[in-house]
Amino acid sequence: MANVEYRSVGKNFGTVRVLNELSLDIGEGEFVVLLGSSGCGKSTLLRMTAGLETISSGEIAIDGKVVNGVHPRDRNIAMVFQNYALYPTMKVRENIAFSLEVAGKSRDEVNAKVEEAARVLSLTDYLDRKPSELSGGQRQRVAMGRAMVRDAKVFLFDEPLSNLDAKLRAHMRVEIRQLHDRLKATTIYVTHDQIEAMTMADKIVLMQGGGIVQVGTPDDLYDRPATRYVAEFIGSPQINCQEGEIVSDGADVHFKNSEVSLPLPAGYAAHGGTKVTCGIRPNDVQLSEEGAIVGRLKIAEKTGADKQMHLDVNGSEFVAVTPRSTEGVPGDDMRFAVDPGKVHIFDQSSGHRITTTLSGA
Amino acid sequence: MMVRSKSSRVLRSVVAWGTVLLFAFPLYYWLTVAFKDGKEIFNYPPQVWSFSPTVRNFEEIFGISLGFGFGEQREVLPGGGNWRMAPRLWDSIVIAVLSTGIAVSIATLASYALSRMEFAGRHHFVSWVLSTRMMPPVAVAIPVFFIYKELSLLDTYTGVILIHALMNLPLAVLLMKSFFDDIPHEIDESGMIDGASRFLIFRRIILPMVKGGAAATAVLCFIFSWTEFLFVLTLTQTGLKTVPVVSSTFVTSTGTAWGNMAALGAAAMLPAFLFILLVQKHLVRGLTLGSVKQ
Ligand SMILES: Nc1ncnc2c1ncn2[C@@H]1O[C@H](COP(=O)(O)OP(=O)(O)OP(=O)(O)O)[C@@H](O)[C@H]1O
Ligand SMILES: [Mg+2]
Repeated sequence: MANVEYRSVGKNFGTVRVLNELSLDIGEGEFVVLLGSSGCGKSTLLRMTAGLETISSGEIAIDGKVVNGVHPRDRNIAMVFQNYALYPTMKVRENIAFSLEVAGKSRDEVNAKVEEAARVLSLTDYLDRKPSELSGGQRQRVAMGRAMVRDAKVFLFDEPLSNLDAKLRAHMRVEIRQLHDRLKATTIYVTHDQIEAMTMADKIVLMQGGGIVQVGTPDDLYDRPATRYVAEFIGSPQINCQEGEIVSDGADVHFKNSEVSLPLPAGYAAHGGTKVTCGIRPNDVQLSEEGAIVGRLKIAEKTGADKQMHLDVNGSEFVAVTPRSTEGVPGDDMRFAVDPGKVHIFDQSSGHRITTTLSGA
Repeated sequence: MMVRSKSSRVLRSVVAWGTVLLFAFPLYYWLTVAFKDGKEIFNYPPQVWSFSPTVRNFEEIFGISLGFGFGEQREVLPGGGNWRMAPRLWDSIVIAVLSTGIAVSIATLASYALSRMEFAGRHHFVSWVLSTRMMPPVAVAIPVFFIYKELSLLDTYTGVILIHALMNLPLAVLLMKSFFDDIPHEIDESGMIDGASRFLIFRRIILPMVKGGAAATAVLCFIFSWTEFLFVLTLTQTGLKTVPVVSSTFVTSTGTAWGNMAALGAAAMLPAFLFILLVQKHLVRGLTLGSVKQ
């Protein structure tokens, strides 16, 4: 177990800069999720941690020791690749045992560890099969087993669940998290799936274009997104955004555009006149006769537990989650109210969150 | 699988079998010549199906009696020539097996490096390797003859094995590289993270994955060496001769011994056939199956 520090880490591929002056601390035993859209540099950062990519600038320290020049095999890390990278000519047992054999462990110790890992991952019946004779989920578990048997300081996962079907993915999410709670190993987990990030992480690192946008707990990112990008990335269905202006006339502060006039907490008074984006989560609105948000229903989607109303508000899409009993046919006008405290306000030009205090985002 | 009408299925097998027969017939006819008596070979119209088979041609070229009543042997046939072919077959086997072994071993190591290592000019390296095969062999044969003379490699196994291995190397490297390129780098990287050295990764993980590719490459190298004519002709005298060169001795001043030549050819096919049979069980496609997601 170890902590990992990134100090102004940069990465160039030729002339292309893919990571920019990135600094981050990962504490001992923490489960950190690197989240971001495709191509933002998550895998690159992970591979640099593993030593599979060189570090162009800055430094990475594991357990307080700078590892820039340290070979992957001397870093004592374990990694699960997106495509699992199992050794196809070896049986499952040999796959899991490989690192232990290389390390020169005794046969008894190797066997004991392999059996134990197989038991935890329910792979006992498959130990003598080749990877090609396994299902996707079983292969994924073999890859996990291969990482587990090492007493690695840091565990790295690169989108390990992206090849599994939804049900198995949900199951493995829980398994991986439980495994972490048992082993308490420092874990860096890459994904572009915000649900995985929200459900598994102690700490989410949201990346965009080779930099970090926000670091925080899942609740931090959900309740206080630092930028509009974060707000739109986290949460499903996606947050609704309306463009407009803060209008402050004495005691009353409103968010206004041509169709919406939304009361805001008094703290926004200082920002009167600012062009802003107003973000409202689909789950934070209630059907109400006096509601400030008026929209024309385009389609009502049943999701089972509730309904998702897709509305047209001021020319842009607005989704509201309502109880399943809610009536509504396309063409209806509907009104929604929202608690002023749950409204997210972002500066239109910078995209940064505007808070009720004057400190800005 | 697409559903096809019966007639198109029938048509397909007819065409397939027709093609097979087209290729197989010359081989068959040549085999019949190996088992025909001298006169029968020249019968007109040619006897394709019915003739009285004899093993005399084989007895003659190998100087043995196969005990079918054609006991008496001729050491030397009219027109001269070397009729003891068994040692020549042996020469061919030694040269083909060893040169194939050398070419495939070196190519395997070289192409793994080419496939994985980052070095300046690695993209041009492959075409550079290939360019060595662009010159016609005849242009190389004479200089090699003089070099070999200086090095006393003329008329030796070593000399012929080396030149055959060398001729095969570029193609073998290219082929093997494509097999290594098919293996995702993550597998190497996974090995590295597991603590293995480059060589251990190569030996334990990667090499077993390219066994099929190596077998395919070996077959091609073997066949090249088995049928190569020019270099053996120029670089050997009396010490050794391979089958392709020695079969030309059946063309004599008093006529061509077709039966003997066909018999030698038939006999020469056997070792090549055995070799291919031996390695073909490794010629399995989909070598990386199951290592990575599909
Ligand atoms: N070997 C390379 N040479 C040049 N550019 C590269 C190389 N590897 C990655 N890149 C670029 O670096 C950027 C980041 O890539 P990276 O693989 O880290 O993205 P990612 O966040 O993992 O995306 P995904 O979610 O699709 O896996 C991409 O724009 C990619 O094109
Ligand atoms: Mg990636």
